Amino acid sequence: MGQASLVSDSSRHSIVEVSEFRKSYRKQLAVDGVNIAVRRGELYGLLGPDGAGKSSLMKAIAGVMTFDSGNIDVFGTRLNSEAASETIKDLIGFMPQGLGLNLYPDLSVEENINFFARLRLVDEQELLERKQRLLAMTRLEKFRQRPMKQLSGGMKQKLGLICTLIHQPKLLILDEPTTGVDPVSRRDFWTILATLLHEQQITALVTTAYMDEASRFHHVSLMYAGQILAEGKPDQICAMIPGTTLMVQTDEQAKAIQLLRQHFSQVQPDGKWIRLFVDDMDADTAIDRVRTLLSALKLEAVQKVDTELEDAFVGLLKRQALATVKDDAKVESADLNFAELIARNSDFVAIETCELTKDFGEFRAVDSVSLRVQEGKIFGLLGANGAGKTTVIKILTGIMPPTKGSGSIAGADIARLGPSIKQRIGYMSQQFSLYMDLTVIENIMLYAGIYGLRAKEARERCHWIGEMAGLSGDIRERTSNLPVGMRQRLALGCALVHRPRVLFLDEPTSGIDPVGRQHFWELLFELSRSEGVTILLTTHYMSEAEHCDHLGLMHAGKLVADASPEALKREVENEAGQLLEIAVSDADSAIQRLTEIGFKNSEMYGQHIHLMSKTPQQDAYRIREELNGLQVSSVRILDLSMDDVFVYKIRALERLADTGLKRMDR
Amino acid sequence: MNLQNESWYQIALWFRQVSVMILKEFPQLVRDRAVFAYILYIFTLDIIIASGATLELKNAKVIINDGDRSHISRELIYRFRAPYFDVVDVDMHPDAALRSLDHGDATLFLDIPANFNETLQRGQEPAVIQMLVDTSIANLGYLAASYGTQISSELGAEWVGQHLSAAGASVGSLPQINNQRRIRFNPDINESWFSSISELLAVITVACIFLPSIAMVREKERGTFEQLMVSPLTPFQIMFSKIVAMMIVMLIGSALSLFVILEFLFDVPLRGSLPLFFALTALYAFATAGLGMLAATFARNSGQLGMLLMLIVFPIIMLSGLWVQPESMPIWLQQIINLTPLRYFIDIAYGILLRGAGIDVLWDSAVKMAGIGVILFTFALWRFQQQFK
Repeated sequence: MGQASLVSDSSRHSIVEVSEFRKSYRKQLAVDGVNIAVRRGELYGLLGPDGAGKSSLMKAIAGVMTFDSGNIDVFGTRLNSEAASETIKDLIGFMPQGLGLNLYPDLSVEENINFFARLRLVDEQELLERKQRLLAMTRLEKFRQRPMKQLSGGMKQKLGLICTLIHQPKLLILDEPTTGVDPVSRRDFWTILATLLHEQQITALVTTAYMDEASRFHHVSLMYAGQILAEGKPDQICAMIPGTTLMVQTDEQAKAIQLLRQHFSQVQPDGKWIRLFVDDMDADTAIDRVRTLLSALKLEAVQKVDTELEDAFVGLLKRQALATVKDDAKVESADLNFAELIARNSDFVAIETCELTKDFGEFRAVDSVSLRVQEGKIFGLLGANGAGKTTVIKILTGIMPPTKGSGSIAGADIARLGPSIKQRIGYMSQQFSLYMDLTVIENIMLYAGIYGLRAKEARERCHWIGEMAGLSGDIRERTSNLPVGMRQRLALGCALVHRPRVLFLDEPTSGIDPVGRQHFWELLFELSRSEGVTILLTTHYMSEAEHCDHLGLMHAGKLVADASPEALKREVENEAGQLLEIAVSDADSAIQRLTEIGFKNSEMYGQHIHLMSKTPQQDAYRIREELNGLQVSSVRILDLSMDDVFVYKIRALERLADTGLKRMDR
Repeated sequence: MNLQNESWYQIALWFRQVSVMILKEFPQLVRDRAVFAYILYIFTLDIIIASGATLELKNAKVIINDGDRSHISRELIYRFRAPYFDVVDVDMHPDAALRSLDHGDATLFLDIPANFNETLQRGQEPAVIQMLVDTSIANLGYLAASYGTQISSELGAEWVGQHLSAAGASVGSLPQINNQRRIRFNPDINESWFSSISELLAVITVACIFLPSIAMVREKERGTFEQLMVSPLTPFQIMFSKIVAMMIVMLIGSALSLFVILEFLFDVPLRGSLPLFFALTALYAFATAGLGMLAATFARNSGQLGMLLMLIVFPIIMLSGLWVQPESMPIWLQQIINLTPLRYFIDIAYGILLRGAGIDVLWDSAVKMAGIGVILFTFALWRFQQQFK
């Protein structure tokens, strides 16, 4: 016991030390002078958007890639030759990026594990024991014989982890293990990792593109454009930017945003709320300032919230002027009041489905989904990989017909989507739907031509898209050379070239950096509020789900929840209570004690313990009492995030399915 | 009046949509260096290389054991001449010669016995020489053997003639057949005329099948395909524009090899009407592209497509009569071959380019080719629409 305290022991030497690391691909500089140090037993996080240089760094540390200059020491061995890299490979477990890319799809779970074990010359007897333990831990025991290709995304990643761990490495290097994995599986993954680290004194270096996972790490480095922006403990980074994050609610949201943008650089709509960051002010001064600025409007509420890593990241970028922030991200905001009126008073149903069902052979991908989206609203479809979100979008856009059920878009039956209704639909698929080998202008003109725009109109739209996506200067640039965020905005632009009234977006923001995502959401917001465009989108980012007017949660093909974000949160709060966060030095004993006194759902979350409580005030008090001897430094009541809501809902459904199965067994 | 305007607008829209879809293929093709280089290669270097390969006997290695060393044996050896034969050794021991044949170092071994001249002079019994031929490469061995036999029997006939005239008789008094050849269309029997056209037809076939289907599968791989499905384009428009775009590329390539390689480099007489040739080549492109498109509806990525196309393209080129005469094949195979558009395109191409034939001669081939093309295209379009259901 007592390993937890070891984590804060600063006298231990580093397992990984990187200094002045540089790597370029042809002429493109990928990583530019990075220094990091990972200490024994640490869960070290490298956070940053796609193309920040995370993967290059990881590969170099794992000894599978050469680099231009700088030093890397792993377990005290300097990686300066292939021979040197070989000597440490037994101590390292490396899981490359991509869902199950290091595994063999046609081999079963067990065969995959056996293969990796034999490759690493693991003793057969030991293999048997480790396999047993790891399979039990990851709850893959039942699926031993199942071919890897038939596992879900989350299960693939867990199997990947087992295969990486089978030779008992001392250092784990995991490159984006949770990207594209649904929130429930993501939580499972982190819990397993935390337990392993704890029990076996492993050190882990992990990258992620999800900012909200940062609090799970002991130490974090924020990477952007090949450089390290900031490093430290997660809460330290949040505190690096002096200022206050506020949430404002008002009836005249669009107007308020316009006013606030004149004074603050980080203002974004967040569902019915507006989230803004006020530089260099404490909470009271900031609230006063906002109230004065918006004195002409009727304010429902102004409140301070915790600054999250995503806010800090954006703030840091803006401060270092690494990202140019457009102040004029407006979309023809001619007469907002009038437009808002349209959006608000419209009861017109833009998208409607009735008992939509789709079978692929034996497998039912979509199971009687009925939903309604009103004109001018943003509807978010959430769910794990394979829950059926993409299939719903493909049916609605007429790419594939449903097996059963019906649907309509703007009143037209989807079974017979003629050219006239297709003219009113915009669609952006999961993959980049642009032609990478064409230039920006060629892409726009192609789609303008396909939708039959006349030359003059096409030029106008082209200009508009250039403005909107902020790429007026790069119009003759090959699309493949654009940064990911800009590409995504261009793809949105192409989907909008014919002014569609209904927009379908399938995971439009995955892999984009937070600044890019903010821009993107501002655009969507403008479209829905000022032009009355109806938007149906899917996302894995739970923080984005909160921006939507309405959410649909999908699980195993079914729509299991259908409400506004607030309503969903309230529902879960009523059922399960609020979230308590306990900071305690001896977490092991604390969890044991908590479980004994009835808090069965307590779990490790980074360095803290999380649990749900229906009577948070009393429970907080009681927990302080009960854990008296264990140095509790704080017990806080947290607001539920969409992530919590999602995980709670899905777990409840899984439990239901489990008990159902057990009943059937009997 | 208004209604008429509306339908005109629809037609104009249809063409505008198809034309942007066609035009976008060209920059894409030029920027894809690998594919661009491939196209350039098949229409130029590939044809030059392929027409260098011939079915004639050239420089076959000959080894000889001249046991006789008489003027008559030297006369015989002298007749094994270039360009058909290449005599490497005239004094090789039979054992060594056999080893040489075993190793494949020589194609033909000629063994002349010590008493060859003497036996011939005596004229009592036939003078025997032995020829050992390596026929592991059947075609080459067969030619070497028959050329060799021809040389020795010519020499024998001359010898007989000399003896007869010495005896006071004349060869002319014996019954003979005088064979007079007149060669049409290719008087020098210049094989590069035939092989370069044959390779050009193979290359056109490859281009017609590969290019549009690869362009189609690329759209699938990159995910842009769904974007097109959601747009107001019809499946026919998508398929049609791919085929037209690649047909244009293929025609440019064909013109390049026709004028630069065939006419300029190999002096092939382009006898017939070239507009007719290009028009029928365009028709052929449509007839064949359906096959590639069909394969593209089954393949999920270009790797799969490549393997599928191999299965389609090889038999077509092998069997349709580019390299072998269909008449020499079993009847059932000939009937299958009659279903491939290439079967008729070969008639058309040789007809126009070498024989100078016009549409009055070739119309039935053109009609059959078009008929098969329409069936293939319709089937491909049907599959194309089915794959999303």
